[in-house]
Amino acid sequence: MAVELELEDIQGTVLRSRPMPYFGTYYVFTIDDAGNAITLIKRLLPHITPAANWDAPPENAWINATFSWEGLRKLGLPREILDGFPREFIQGMAARKEFLGDVGLNDPSHWDMPHGGNGLDIGLLIMAGSPELRDAKAAIGREAVAGLGGVRTVNRLDVGLPPTGREHFGFVDGISRPYIEGQGGDPLPGQPVAKAGEFVLGYENELGVIASGPGPEDFWRNSTYISLRKIHQDVAAFRRFLRDNAETSDGRELVAAQMMGRWRSGCPMALSPEKDDPEIAKDPMRNNDFSFRTEDPDGDRTAPGCHIRRVNPRDALDGTVVDMRLHRLLRRGSAYGPVLPEGVTEDDGVDRGLVLAIINANPGRQFEFVQSQWINDGDFISQGERSDPIAGRRDRSDEFAVPRPRHRYKGLAAFSQTRGGEHLFLPGLGGLRWMVERLGPH
Amino acid sequence: MSNLDISPEKAALTQPSSNQPDGPGKRIGKRGEIHVIGNVVPGGGKLFRDRIARFQAEAGYWEKRIGTVHDFRVILFDNDTRILVSAVYDGDFVPYLQDVVTQAGPWFDLLMPGVWEGFTCAADPATAKLIERQAYTADAFYAANPDLTIKDIAKMRRLSEAVNEMLDAAN
Repeated sequence: MAVELELEDIQGTVLRSRPMPYFGTYYVFTIDDAGNAITLIKRLLPHITPAANWDAPPENAWINATFSWEGLRKLGLPREILDGFPREFIQGMAARKEFLGDVGLNDPSHWDMPHGGNGLDIGLLIMAGSPELRDAKAAIGREAVAGLGGVRTVNRLDVGLPPTGREHFGFVDGISRPYIEGQGGDPLPGQPVAKAGEFVLGYENELGVIASGPGPEDFWRNSTYISLRKIHQDVAAFRRFLRDNAETSDGRELVAAQMMGRWRSGCPMALSPEKDDPEIAKDPMRNNDFSFRTEDPDGDRTAPGCHIRRVNPRDALDGTVVDMRLHRLLRRGSAYGPVLPEGVTEDDGVDRGLVLAIINANPGRQFEFVQSQWINDGDFISQGERSDPIAGRRDRSDEFAVPRPRHRYKGLAAFSQTRGGEHLFLPGLGGLRWMVERLGPH
Repeated sequence: MSNLDISPEKAALTQPSSNQPDGPGKRIGKRGEIHVIGNVVPGGGKLFRDRIARFQAEAGYWEKRIGTVHDFRVILFDNDTRILVSAVYDGDFVPYLQDVVTQAGPWFDLLMPGVWEGFTCAADPATAKLIERQAYTADAFYAANPDLTIKDIAKMRRLSEAVNEMLDAAN
């Protein structure tokens, strides 16, 4: 039976891809007064954008509200509901730093975006197709909080597509994502079909059960979790690495492509291993239409340890203990900070990077599994302690191996460094109403 | 020196161990251990003994499929009232638990339903929670070559065979 998602009740960011170009803002609020925080939610509620009309939204902008576990605790959610949340959400991302590899340069002591342990109680996500639309939505957020003592804006981060049209390392971003049952339309070639319960609570998941949350269904139905990561990108170090490992411009492009598994245009190496083919990159019917198990089991075209074979191994792990269906992510990435001018290979001290909003109904077996087992470890692909050459930790290994032509790159730097992170709860609109009615003043 | 003092000479080869980063089990290098102790359903002992031969016969097939287990044991004890399952394996325990019970489910289902109290079938998400709830962490643990995983050992074995063949050919 076809799955029918209650799109009017699911917050928009779950199903809507960001516009292109995009202009967004992340606001972080701290709650000092629960009653006023409920008033904030009440004021925001009419403006929260659902996922309905997700292919053709009436306006190309949305505003969504999220909560850390600490935020829900401050709002007065009953203890029996708080205790029923997943362990990862209850503990918060900073507390899970050892498991997630957030050590050394990635340690929460270096984070400049608050987490649930030091100020992130409510997060507001705004995304729009123009600066004007973004500012209009941001004004709603500011007006909602205006005059409310006890709710402080403690952080704001603007995101937007760099003028290059690519993320800061120079890659076209956001090409691959799962197709969620019930989202409408048809899956594209190479796009895996995922049960809705992997991404939204209240629907059947890949274990064949209804994904659920704590407390009454009215609270958790159509909700999900966003695993938020602020990632600082050391673009100068990345460029130096390419420069030091290749003599020509084409050579540098090849090294970058080997590390990612796609050329910087987005063209997969699986389909064009020798040279970039921007036509494939632009064609949604082709740019994801590849697999690894039979076509490239040894990684001759797409290196086993590259970024895309780690975050989405496709069919490469079929026949092993890993059930790929249990570890899918819906990833919304957006860039922040100014572009490092082309050709510059010395750090200018300016912060730039990515904000990843990873949507998952089970943060433990989805985001945290991928981060700890696939991005930060290499044993699942016989790569020992080697980590993701783009996004992985560097305290255990600084190597990346390419099978053909056989080459072992050494001296990978910490190109991507965690600067913030939290597991956030994104209620359905009904859940937000439930919170206002049950937690607000009577 | 009392009996409780650690001898510096004998402790020189001590292995740094820690608890698994995300749940029960001790960890040395890449090697982890786990012990799970459950109750046996009355009458479950007979069922267990009826089924154990097939379970043992299929161990190689399923453990190869899992691919990260160095050794594995199941023991019925205390007059058929309790069951102990223990394993030494590579990497983390809790993150892979759901995958293991999902992928090797048919093997566990050969043996455990009607034997292990609370174990209805591996596909039931409650099974992973049952295992985690009844898991114990070793108080002392030793692992030889703790940084070599099953995959590493298999790779070194292939390499060693190839080197031997090459040397044989050269002679």
